[in-house]
Amino acid sequence: MVRVLIESTGEQREFRALKSVTQLLNRLGLKSTEVLVIRGRELLTPDRMIGHEGEIRIRHVVSRG
Amino acid sequence: MKCRRCSELAQVRLPSHHTGFCAPCFETYFLRQVERGIHEHKQFSKEDRVLLAVSGGKDSLGLLLALTRLGYDITALHIDLGIPVSSQGARATVEAYCAAHSIKLHVLETAEKGLPIPEVKKRVNRPICSVCGKIKRHWFNRFAYENGYDVLATGHNLDDEVARLFANTLRWDQAYLAGQGPVSPAEGKFVRKVKPLCRLTEYETAVWCFLNGIEHVLAACPYSAGASFTGHKKLLADLEERSPGMKMQFYEHFLQRGKPAFQAVRAEAPPLNECARCGYPSSMEVCGVCRIKDQLEA
Repeated sequence: MVRVLIESTGEQREFRALKSVTQLLNRLGLKSTEVLVIRGRELLTPDRMIGHEGEIRIRHVVSRG
Repeated sequence: MKCRRCSELAQVRLPSHHTGFCAPCFETYFLRQVERGIHEHKQFSKEDRVLLAVSGGKDSLGLLLALTRLGYDITALHIDLGIPVSSQGARATVEAYCAAHSIKLHVLETAEKGLPIPEVKKRVNRPICSVCGKIKRHWFNRFAYENGYDVLATGHNLDDEVARLFANTLRWDQAYLAGQGPVSPAEGKFVRKVKPLCRLTEYETAVWCFLNGIEHVLAACPYSAGASFTGHKKLLADLEERSPGMKMQFYEHFLQRGKPAFQAVRAEAPPLNECARCGYPSSMEVCGVCRIKDQLEA
């Protein structure tokens, strides 16, 4: 299972498998330049594969005041 | 995706530059963009004493690190707005960062100046973001002027600048369009104001902070809900996704072609007065900040 934490809301989502970061962003309705996709201590570009397990954090980058 | 410079695995994709970078090469790219912004617009030099307005967010703390790495003479100024929880967190973040990196820091409390923001919000019947912005701009400038700094720098990035340009254009606000840009020259009691992140997007500053382990404030200001700039940024993000590089083009072409025309109009505007209370520049007899103070004291 791939666990995804959206930092701004604290919401957690789970996916059985994700082909790529692009697929994750599409599922979440996000643009690649409005969030950081973080796995461990690295950032993932949209073409990176994700697979069946792992933990990913989504950090919004737009200042909200 | 591979890094354009070294062909290692990329961590960052930048569609507007048709490229991607690994972490070390992104850092080189980021610092070069900051330097380029400073030099292209003649913002300041290594000899200038620079005061940097630091909120605790990613842009100002990221800029603080970049300017320190580039060897500029930087002092940080944080304004504590007195907003429960939010201001305490922001101040603690800035103090911890500056202490850890041995950076000179001044903290100014608006409550000490008779302007606690929660009270201002209760008493002033206007959007709090614009009022708070006015108070912060007044005190950042005043502190810089009274303490002999050559330049006041802020962490405004390309997205901030483009959203502001878009808002000013929607209103065809000639005075604001004439004044907008990465450098506002010193004039009377106004110190020179600069925006060294004018070539970098919010995404890029967020990446820079992440790669450098900068702990910055993530939560939004509790008073900022419904701020118009957030909506403008969404619209512009849609345009940028369809036409990567559009934001930079919009901004740079404005600086080259639009701004000079508006400056010509502005040259005919009457000169500013000195505020009868505080002595700082104002278009009226008493400046906006002193008038807010009067409302609180009434």
